[in-house]
Order: sequence, then C-alpha cells, then structure tokens
Amino acid sequence: MRRELSAVALGALVLLSGGSLRAQDQQEKTPDEKIQELDQKIRVLERKDELRQEAEADKAKASTSVTSGKDGFSIKSADGAFLLKLRGYVQFDGRFFSDDKQKPGIDTFTLRRVRPIFEGTVYKIFDFRIMPDFGQGTTTLFDAYVEARFAPSFKVRAGKFKPPVGLERLQSATDILFVERALPTNLVPNRDLGIQVSGDLSGGVVNYAAGVFNGTVDLGNQADADTNNSKDVEGRVFVQPFLVSGGALKNLGFGVAATSGIHEGTLTAPGLPSYRTPAQQTFFSYRSDGTAAGTVLADGRHTRIVPQGYFYSGPFGLLAEYAQSKQEVRRATVSADLEHTSWQTAASWVITGDDATYRGVNPKKVFDPAAHTWGAFEVTARYSKLDLDEKTFPLFANPASAPRSTTAWAVGLNWYLNKNVRVMLDYERSTFDGGAGTTSLVTDRIPEKILFSRFQISY
Amino acid sequence: MRSRILSILLLLSVAAFPVGAQTVSQKAKLLNVSYDPTRELYQDFNAAFAKYWKGQTGQDVEIQQSHGGSGKQARSVIDGLEADVVTLALAYDVDAVANSGLLPKNWQTRLPLNSAPYTSTIVFLVRKGNPKHIKDWDDLAKPGVSVISPNPKTSGGARWNYLAAWGYALKKLGNDPAKAKDFVARIYKNVPVLDTGARGSTVTFVERGIGDVLIAWENEAILAVKDIGKGQFEIVAPSLSILAEPSVAVVDKVAAKHKTAAAAKTYLEYLYTPEGQEIAARHYYRPRSASVAAKYADQFPKITLFTIDELFGGWTKAQQTHFADGGVFDQIYGVGK
Repeated sequence: MRRELSAVALGALVLLSGGSLRAQDQQEKTPDEKIQELDQKIRVLERKDELRQEAEADKAKASTSVTSGKDGFSIKSADGAFLLKLRGYVQFDGRFFSDDKQKPGIDTFTLRRVRPIFEGTVYKIFDFRIMPDFGQGTTTLFDAYVEARFAPSFKVRAGKFKPPVGLERLQSATDILFVERALPTNLVPNRDLGIQVSGDLSGGVVNYAAGVFNGTVDLGNQADADTNNSKDVEGRVFVQPFLVSGGALKNLGFGVAATSGIHEGTLTAPGLPSYRTPAQQTFFSYRSDGTAAGTVLADGRHTRIVPQGYFYSGPFGLLAEYAQSKQEVRRATVSADLEHTSWQTAASWVITGDDATYRGVNPKKVFDPAAHTWGAFEVTARYSKLDLDEKTFPLFANPASAPRSTTAWAVGLNWYLNKNVRVMLDYERSTFDGGAGTTSLVTDRIPEKILFSRFQISY
Repeated sequence: MRSRILSILLLLSVAAFPVGAQTVSQKAKLLNVSYDPTRELYQDFNAAFAKYWKGQTGQDVEIQQSHGGSGKQARSVIDGLEADVVTLALAYDVDAVANSGLLPKNWQTRLPLNSAPYTSTIVFLVRKGNPKHIKDWDDLAKPGVSVISPNPKTSGGARWNYLAAWGYALKKLGNDPAKAKDFVARIYKNVPVLDTGARGSTVTFVERGIGDVLIAWENEAILAVKDIGKGQFEIVAPSLSILAEPSVAVVDKVAAKHKTAAAAKTYLEYLYTPEGQEIAARHYYRPRSASVAAKYADQFPKITLFTIDELFGGWTKAQQTHFADGGVFDQIYGVGK
C-alpha cells in the first residue's frame, strides 16, 4: 500500500514540481537524478510520518489510560502510581425447599449479593477497597480498608475486611464452589475492623497474616465500632511448599489460623452467635429472654483454631477445613467453656478439562454458540458437619429448638459461561441430631432439603 | 487426636518453608537498561554470564534487557524503571542517574578504565560504491549530500556523532569555535530526519533507503555491512574521530532493593574478563584487553581518535554548551524543526 502511495505521490510530484525546480537544476540534473531526488523526498516524508506515529504511540503510553475488559473498568495514570478500578458482582439466587411435611423456609428468588467494588491505588503502594452490599434488601458495608504494600513480604492493612481465619470465608463469594458456604464458616468471623500485617515469603510459598481486631462473634460481620475494650488477636499461616518449584503438587496448600480474645456480653448485646444451615436457616441460638436469669452471655475468652488446606491439580480440586470455636459463657451464676467444632471437605471436577483453582474457573473456551463453544462445566460434592458442645444443653440452649449437631451433604453443577458469568445449581440436604423435634415422637429437627440456583455476573 | 493433627500440620508448615526458600534463592533476575545498538551484544553476553554465574554460585540468573536512546533510557531509570545495571552510551547519562541518588556520584571509579569496559568510535556508512564519494567530514557538509544521524537531545550515539564532527572542525579550522559551529551547521542542514536513537537512524538509512551517508557507531556500521545489509554498504573511516566510551554502572538502590547487588556487580565485572572482551569484540566493539584487541585488529579501521576531555573539557561542559536547551545544537538545527 505504501509503495502504491509512493508511486502515485512520486508521479504527482514529478508533474507538479517541474515548475518549482530551478531552471539551473533542470539543466544540471538528468531525469534519473530528478526522480532519485523526488524519491528521497517521499521516503523522508514517509519516515517522518512513521516517526510521528511512533512518538504519538510513546506519548499515548505516557498518558492516562482508560481500560475496560473482563477484569473490570479502570483509569490508570501514565506512571501507574494512581489507579481507580470499578468492579462488582450481582448474584441472583433461587431457593426451593423440597419437603412433603414441613418447609423450613420460604421458596424464593432473592438478590443474595449486589456489590459494587471501588478499588484503587494512590502513590504506587497505597491500595484501597470499598465494597458495600445492597443484597437482600439491606445496605451493609462489607469492605473498607487501606493497604500499604511496602514489599511483597510486608503489607499493612487497616479498616474493615475479612480477618485471616476461615479458608472458605477468605475465598471470594464469586469463586466458592457452592451457592452457600459450608458449616465451618459458622465458626469463623465474616468481617471485622482492625489492623493487619501480611505478606508472601519465598515467592508465595509461605503466606502469613496477623492482626488486631475489634473481635466479633462467630459468623459475625462487625459493625463499625466495638462494644467492649478488649481486642482479638487473629492470625494465619498458609504454606504452598511446591508453588515455586512446580510439579504435580504445585497447587497444594495447607495452613492453620487462630484467634484469641476476651468477649463479655450484656443483656442487650449478649455477644454470642447464632448458627445457620447452608439454606441460611437459623438452627442454633443461645437462650435469650432479655432477663439476667434467662439470657446467656459471652463471659471470657473466645478462641478459635482452624486448620485448613486445598489441593488443585488440572480439573480436580479438593478443599478441606476444620474449625473449633471455644467461648466462655455464663447464664446467671453458672459458667461454662463451650467448644463447638465443624469440618468440611469439598471436591470438584471441571468436566470440560479447564483448570480448577482456589480463585475459580476461567474457561478456555467461552460461551459462544456461533462458534459451538459452551464455556466450562464443573461438578461438585461436599460433606460438612457441625457439633455443638454437649455442655450447651439444656442450660445454655434449648434442646426443644436447637439440635446438638447437623450434617450436610451437597452436590452441584457449575456452568462458567466465561470469566464473568456463571450459573450454579446445587442440591443440599441437612440432617439434625439431638433436638428441635416437632413432636414427642420426632425428637430431631426435620431434615432440610433445598435446591439452589444462582445467576452471577462479576466484573 | 485434634491436637495431633494440628501438630502435624504445623510441623509440615515449618518443614516446607526451607524447601520453598531454597527453590526461590536459585533464581536471580537482573534488568540491564542499555542504549540502542547493544541488543545483540547483550543477548550473547547475558547467556555467557548466566552460565558463568551458575558455575560460580549454583544460582540461575535471568537477565532482561531494555534498549532505546541513551538519554531516554537514563530518564526512564530516573523516573522509576528498576534497572539493576545501566550500560549507557556515555558517562553523562550515567551521571544523570547518579544525580538522582540511585547510585553514588563516584560510580566511574568503581570499575576499571572509568567504568567503560569497551569503546567504539564514529564512522560513516555509505551505499555500495560510495556514489557521493564521501571520504571525510568535509564531504558531509557539502550541498546535496543527505546525512542521517539521530537527535543528540535523545541519543547518546548522536552526541558522539556531533562532537566528532565538531572536533574535526576545530582541528582543521584553527581551533575556531565559530568556524566549527558553521561547519557542523552545514552538516546538520543536510540531515533530513532526526531519529530518537542510533538504531532508528540505521533503520532510516538501511531499511528505508534514505540518505547518502549514515554517521554511525562503528559497531553499528560494521553490523550493517556484515549482517543487516550484506553487500549493500561500505564503511568509510574519517581521518579523525572521537573515542566513544560507553559506560556501565550498578544502580545501587535498585540492586539493594532486589537483593541483586552481588550478581549485578559480577555481571559488570564479567565484561572485563577475556570472555566478556571477546564477546564485545565479536559484536564489533573495540575491546580494552590488548590481547583480544590484537586478535580482532583487522576488524577495526585505523583512525586517529581524540577524547571528549581533550577537546570539550568533559561531558558536563560539552552537554551544557552543546545539548542543553538553547545550546549550540538548538541554535544550529532550530528547536522544533
């Protein structure tokens, strides 16, 4: 194309430039020399244009960039020191209970999570994140923090965020295998306010995090201020010994998290949790009638220990964790140190062969009917159990309304249309033991069977 | 039972740590920010050094390269490009990096021969048969001769070109700066395109077919004759030219941050070894080693060379006089031309 352009321009210049050339030149130069001269002029013009384009490209690189794509929308300064990213996700769920005798909950569609995310960086090393949630008809601030990245091995975060405790809790809600997290998540904090140091050592082989937090009850999402003067210390060490060296065990990771703090409740704020089934039905609460005699209070040290691990290899994934939550409680003058435990194991297989990871599945072939590609499909299975301390009953919890343990198993199918869009279908069955029966003959809470669906978009 | 499981997990965590740490320590990464025509030189040199470093320490080293006009490259390092080492076209550009505080100002004394492990000079590259009969600098100042040279404001090589022409004029025209200025102005009147770097000018001359003569690094000219445009070009050695001393330095603050100080220092020292000198000579840079220079003597034309200190009082003074904004170059070429 350039050669054709050159030829046309050359011809035009030959015709047009005759008059402009000095007569002396015309006498001295042969036609070949004139053509050579004009050819050089064209080449120079073309080269100058080329250099101008290169300079413009360099200038563009040095300008603020606005990008959009599967990772969201962002505005970035030329030197990368300032960045603003707009991300978010929406999860539209269906919950359908299947029970002939009694439905433990209402069949419903619900907006489970509606979360815009504002993330960014200022002055190169200071990151921030703000994430409210408008799901389920309420507005709650989930994340609001600033993090200084002094080095990959040393970061300091302050604000409201997930404490470094539960493995499945730390996994993004957009990446979890099932519509709802498993039973052990009941025993770990959700969000808390505090200051944390964290980092990756040895290229990510060891990840550590430790911090001081207001302290929250199990499953708690701490409000924006504490209700007592004591603070919780929480930390986690997670090791991926083969992350750098690679091989079949590259994505093997395991670790342990722990928390400790003093919690003391009051009649208006007892400082104790309720626990939920995967179908988000409350199945356990401490006694509370608003009187000193009938209300159980947190009354002393609360500790948790949570060993955890995962393994991903090609399309297969395995995640397991155990949680133990110990809390000193008191009802009137009677005290006890109650220890509740829970564990889960979950397995997944991406049947389309895409890689399973802790951060979800990114299909190699996105959904595109015209190209006969359909995204990635994953089948999942999970078993989890939660045992309440025997000492809890009957003094601290009413066996007529709270079982002593629950067991849940689930199977699911996930369809990843692309990195951003996902459809989920789960079936989960929870059984209960040791209380909350409906009649004298039926001593246990009736099993809970639920079909979940989810349409999720995240960007 | 629970406490036993926890103990095992903790023990595994502790046991796994040194395994990972050892694996990581087996790879170092260096970034060499260099000037335009050294791409091929450092590709070969890096491979040789990686082998040498592995043999010496057992550690793998990955060396990344960045190339561009020397002045621009120095600016990039000052602005945050995390170079472990700089290997730039001239000492002034390394001085600029030193002035930003990234390395000490006495950097030139830390390695032998003013931290210039190889040298080069400035020659002419002409088209086959030398149709414009170019023999020396005077021919470049004649009307009707199209001269290709990059922009001295952005290119280290271009500054060597300019000063070589100026030095020739001073020597020939009675050491008269006014006459030298007029002479150099006539040369630059013949320059139709100013590229930002030496490699860009080579592209202009060799690939785009523009110009009668390219003022070039000697190594770049030999490369064009022997490799890029075999059979299409000839080298013309002027009667007088400048001794160009490309300079190298460890960027201390970056190397300390990356924990690569030892590797970076050894990397530059390796340039002075017989192996490093041999590689430089193979890529048409004049080696400092007498034995390697003797081996490759036929490769380099015999030219009388002067130094920048002799005629210009060093880089700082030359930069201020000729290449600063409003300096002599701006006066003769015209800002924004």
